[in-house]
Amino acid sequence: MSPSSHRRRPADAAAAPHDASCDTGRPAGRRSVLAGFLSLLGELLITVGLVLGLFVAYSLWWTNVLADRQASVRGDEIRQQWLAPPAPGPSEPAEPGALDTGGGVGFLHVPAMKNGEVLVKRGTAPDVLNDGVAGYYTEPVKSALPWDASGNFSLAAHRDGHGAKFHNIDKVRDGDAIVFETRDTWYVYKVFAELRQTSKYNVDVISPVPKESGRTAPGRYITLTTCTPVYTSKYRYVVWGELVRTEKVNADRGLPAELR
Amino acid sequence: MYGWVWRHLPGNAWVRALISLVLVLAVVFVLFQYVFPWAEPLLPFNDVTVDEGSGATP
Repeated sequence: MSPSSHRRRPADAAAAPHDASCDTGRPAGRRSVLAGFLSLLGELLITVGLVLGLFVAYSLWWTNVLADRQASVRGDEIRQQWLAPPAPGPSEPAEPGALDTGGGVGFLHVPAMKNGEVLVKRGTAPDVLNDGVAGYYTEPVKSALPWDASGNFSLAAHRDGHGAKFHNIDKVRDGDAIVFETRDTWYVYKVFAELRQTSKYNVDVISPVPKESGRTAPGRYITLTTCTPVYTSKYRYVVWGELVRTEKVNADRGLPAELR
Repeated sequence: MYGWVWRHLPGNAWVRALISLVLVLAVVFVLFQYVFPWAEPLLPFNDVTVDEGSGATP
């Protein structure tokens, strides 16, 4: 690419007069090769800078656009399914296996995060979380589900990009409500502890009785995890809540008091 | 590099500018559609889960 440009430039401008004095053309030629190399290097560096800038735009903006679009399509599908007449049998799923967990199990509402409803799906692999949802852990510690008699409903979602569903996790305080909505029931949790920074290897925070939360007895807990500080993945941020009550969903899906 | 491309585009300055714009948009499209989605999981900016850290993050 570049050699021909170097050859062309002198040829365009001032090749003919210099042809007569061949011996003085030699250092000038070497200089123009160096200049050409430096200008190519400069252009490449500028290009790298622009590409990195585009990558930032991609990470913080475009992935949100895609994920929000994806999540709202999935969310609408779930709501459509819920509108269909309920299947015969118990009104609440007796076992997690009975659910179509691939589509999502419900919606998480955290008023303190001011981000509307978050679809919750099974698993915390990137291809799940990248669709703008919160995922419940299947490993390293298997999450309980809200309708289980006891256990820890442990969730993860992105802090930035891919919907950034837990971006405002630092706004959640003790006493704030976390509401999980299923087809039939509102599960109302109350936040009782936050861990503002912990190691990403600290898997005890999602144990059935979460360590460092201050609780020692089994109960019906919820755990939100994401990364911190913002724009990095260095540490994890954890918020714990416990179930305070459940409320049956009424015919017109009226919101529980915490969401009004 | 860019000078070389500019000199090899056909037409007058306006046509060249238009073609350049199309080329830039094509490059941005390829980056957003193929390159960045490929590169993102390889970069350590977007892990949100706790895990045992035995090797790669999930």
